[in-house]
Amino acid sequence: MPKAIEIENFSYSYPDGTAALREITLSVKQGEKIALIGPNGAGKSTLLLAMGGFVKGTGKVLIDGLQINRKNLKKIRTLLTSCLENPDDQLFMPTLFDDVAFGPLNMGLEPKEVKKRVADALQTVGLANMADKAPHHLSAGQKRSAAIATVLSMAPKIITLDEPDSQLDPRNRNNLTKLLAALPQTLIIGTCDMNFAAELAGRAILLDKGCIIADGDAKKIMSDSKLMAEHGLEVPAQFGASGYRSSRN
Amino acid sequence: MHHAYIDKFAYQDSPIHRLDSRVKFIVVLVFTAVVISLPRASFSILVCYAVGPFAILVLGKVPLRFAFKHILLVSPFILILALSCPLYDKTPVTVAFGPFLWQTSLGWMRCFAILGKFIVTMMALIALVSTTRFSDLLTGLQKLGLPKLLIIQLGFLYRYIFVLIDRAHHILRARQGRRLRNLGVKAELKIAAAMLGSLFVRSIDTAERINIAMQARGFDGSWRTLSKLQIRRSDLLFALTAALFVLGLYIFVPHLL
Repeated sequence: MPKAIEIENFSYSYPDGTAALREITLSVKQGEKIALIGPNGAGKSTLLLAMGGFVKGTGKVLIDGLQINRKNLKKIRTLLTSCLENPDDQLFMPTLFDDVAFGPLNMGLEPKEVKKRVADALQTVGLANMADKAPHHLSAGQKRSAAIATVLSMAPKIITLDEPDSQLDPRNRNNLTKLLAALPQTLIIGTCDMNFAAELAGRAILLDKGCIIADGDAKKIMSDSKLMAEHGLEVPAQFGASGYRSSRN
Repeated sequence: MHHAYIDKFAYQDSPIHRLDSRVKFIVVLVFTAVVISLPRASFSILVCYAVGPFAILVLGKVPLRFAFKHILLVSPFILILALSCPLYDKTPVTVAFGPFLWQTSLGWMRCFAILGKFIVTMMALIALVSTTRFSDLLTGLQKLGLPKLLIIQLGFLYRYIFVLIDRAHHILRARQGRRLRNLGVKAELKIAAAMLGSLFVRSIDTAERINIAMQARGFDGSWRTLSKLQIRRSDLLFALTAALFVLGLYIFVPHLL
């Protein structure tokens, strides 16, 4: 079985010449749940965009064994789907039904199958009775769940999520954690919230200034208070330490 | 932030809400065209025509206060046009209302005709958008043959206008929080231009992110949606009633009044 994601020596610079990603090499097994952690501006969002084929740099990116290029892009978009940070960007259709159906319709599925997928996706995220609602009538937590439903309806093998926990209160964050933990797909979650990352991921990739600083067991990386403090992060409460304070003492 | 959505009553349930959006749109379009083209638009005739949209608003459980509030909101544009009539046409005319007679000018007559037609047609338009979900209206318009590009643009406008208004409010609030003294018109205009520029740049950023979200879900330039519209017997009955109402008024009312 091919790796879910394989990236070899991938580098990308912004149009103004600033290096966003430098020589990134990593591989992700099928079904892994990975937290992509790092401070603001570390390159997490850019790396997630590179996985979706939205930024073109040097090096190789393979999704489920397929290299990202113009020819494979359509197939890749059915294998890997990205969920953006702001649900208002993700939910662009007049109703929730149309938004969740948007992906399956573009995949060329039959109307009957599209309706089934929409119903299943909305059921999974707990919005089964809200199909006809306009996205701007949803609460922040509902918008986040709806954004995930738009991705689930495409039944991809891999899902990338950029800061999925941002702007959520603790209750909605817990609901989101349970929802993501129950998904069978390979998940790559970009986040600055170490508690959220610790609850979900078995593996963590620490990114800073466009480089991979550490890649391995989430507990091992995130409980290293010195490493976390060096990169402007904190040790999650689950892993015992109290972040900056303990590292400074 | 809470917004006063024009279609906030469109999510209710009533016989009018259940009607096909295409039928409602065509009825309102024809009704508007007929009212606008009325050669004689006296108060009594317009009241007869207003019965139609009034009935739809009542059957659709749309509060009349809501309808009149929205008519008032858009009225300044028409008021300017209507109130300019008495200025350029001062031909004297005698008006009769029952046993009463009084002298006025043709300009004032035109002014009241414009205002009356505006109120009646706006009532019909509000009855349409208050009993039809915007998404259904867009689907209906698409089925009626409106260009897809226009439908997509209308959909995005409806989806993001409130997001944009929220952003503008946030920027204004941030400015207000640091506005300790009046800087004068020139400096204030400069700041306003910078704020507008910021809003513009953020809108472009949003558009780019939406484009990514669309591509991520396989968008290739073709707009695909599942049509949920279906013409039923009740739609045909509504169309027939509306046609008889408009035709009846157009033919008989000028002779009766």
